[in-house]
Amino acid sequence: MSGGTPGTSEAAFGGSGLGVGRPTKRRPGAAVGGLEVADPRPVFDEGAVLGVRCTACRYPAAQRGIPWCPVCYAAVEAERFPAAGTVWSSTVVAIRVGERRPPFGLAYLDLDDGPRVLVHLAEPEVLRSGTRARITGTDRGDLVAAREEQS
Amino acid sequence: MNQPMLWGVGTSDYGLFPERRVESLVWEAAAEAIRDAGISPRDVDAIVVGSVFGPPGVATRVQRGMGIPGVPMWTIENACASSTSAYHEAVEAVRLGRFGCVLVLGVDQMSTLFSGAIVPEATDPEGASSLPLPGLYALQAARYVDEFGVTPEQLAAVAVKNKRNGLDNPRAQLRNSAPTVEEVLASRMIAEPLTFLQCCPTSDGAGAAVVGADRGNRDDLRIEASAMVSGALWDHRSDDVWGHASVTRAAERAFAQAGRTPGEIDVLEVHDAFTIGEILTLEALGLAPRGKGAELAPSGHTTRDGAQPVNPSGGLLSRGHPLGGTGTAQIAEIAWQLRGRAGARQVQRHRVGLVETMGGGAAGMDGNACVVTILSAQ
Repeated sequence: MSGGTPGTSEAAFGGSGLGVGRPTKRRPGAAVGGLEVADPRPVFDEGAVLGVRCTACRYPAAQRGIPWCPVCYAAVEAERFPAAGTVWSSTVVAIRVGERRPPFGLAYLDLDDGPRVLVHLAEPEVLRSGTRARITGTDRGDLVAAREEQS
Repeated sequence: MNQPMLWGVGTSDYGLFPERRVESLVWEAAAEAIRDAGISPRDVDAIVVGSVFGPPGVATRVQRGMGIPGVPMWTIENACASSTSAYHEAVEAVRLGRFGCVLVLGVDQMSTLFSGAIVPEATDPEGASSLPLPGLYALQAARYVDEFGVTPEQLAAVAVKNKRNGLDNPRAQLRNSAPTVEEVLASRMIAEPLTFLQCCPTSDGAGAAVVGADRGNRDDLRIEASAMVSGALWDHRSDDVWGHASVTRAAERAFAQAGRTPGEIDVLEVHDAFTIGEILTLEALGLAPRGKGAELAPSGHTTRDGAQPVNPSGGLLSRGHPLGGTGTAQIAEIAWQLRGRAGARQVQRHRVGLVETMGGGAAGMDGNACVVTILSAQ
């Protein structure tokens, strides 16, 4: 197999990944021992994902606080997006990332008439593109979605 | 307008060198490039440095040891495309006559920053949700598998090809042995469907290039095109997987500027941080139609003795990927190939070469930046 030098072994993906005691340009965040940063993640509120929508072209974004519509430059207004959507792609991560322990599932979910958001999956399984899923809540601030049962 | 030329290149070894000063990696690369260009340090009119993690001030500490004081100098951070972005600025500066000779440097020392995969950036919406870079590429790969029925063996073939190439690269990080397709697939899962041997290693290294105007030297390489684009929205409207569109934008500009078609390229170095990256990049560059890029490695088209060898250096998968040190290493490999000085790695047809570097990781954008450059031997 490849490699013979330290760090090229599979153990390279096994550590915490954080350069402990080494201040860098990267902000690892409080969850993994860094300082607190403002939370940039989409917010889930009473069954809806908070975001903005363009008042002219209706472009939806989960990112709030943006100065104008990034597509047509018109004003944006607060919007509540439905929590259901269609999986664009998904993966199961098999390495530790920050405080997340493997395995954990991630997916890009295209919310119905809304933006594409990154979600954690309630179950660590790969959902094929096109699978219907619904955001059911949050875990440590991350959106969590589960496969929707066929009705 | 001046015709920009590549006068010389150099690199350090690539690997894990936590015991070395970051500057020493750069000095090794810069000394080789300056010697290769046949110039004196005093001929350098400006310095452009590409680095992601610095450390801040590294450019000045590098400069201090080289005796090139007072010249215009700046550092560019464009994720993995940092040093190709630095190169692009040098090319444009020479083209416009702002400088006659620019020293381009690229460096990162990852071994003193991270003990494994890069820690996601907590100020990024997706980084804060613990999306690691292999996870981002896995989400590309998973979509691509669903859409086009690409097999695990096709993905693994890219790693096998590049790691075989790396066996003949004395400066590559992973040059001891090359795995089989079965071994690639049997290595442990990182993020489905990407296994460990489909991911580039954590690396340290530096590269350098000297870009100048045409000085009538037959050994200089003609920079036929250099295109740099930043990211655009990647969202619910995007049909292509993440990253594809940014490479396409840069490629279209570069081919138009050079007046060439993808079929005219003899040898390529492209951004294979993960196996899926090479496949998607080659589609975006036009070497294969959408959904067919996965056939290029298994068919032999992109092997060293194939019609269009890709990553003869071993690529990021084998040489290693010290972010800012990658673009300049890609440029160096293409320079050695085009001059017929790549030793055991030498490809047969080597008149026109292409380098592509795509840097990304900011949520909701199809890349942070992408650079495509086309060079030719005279």
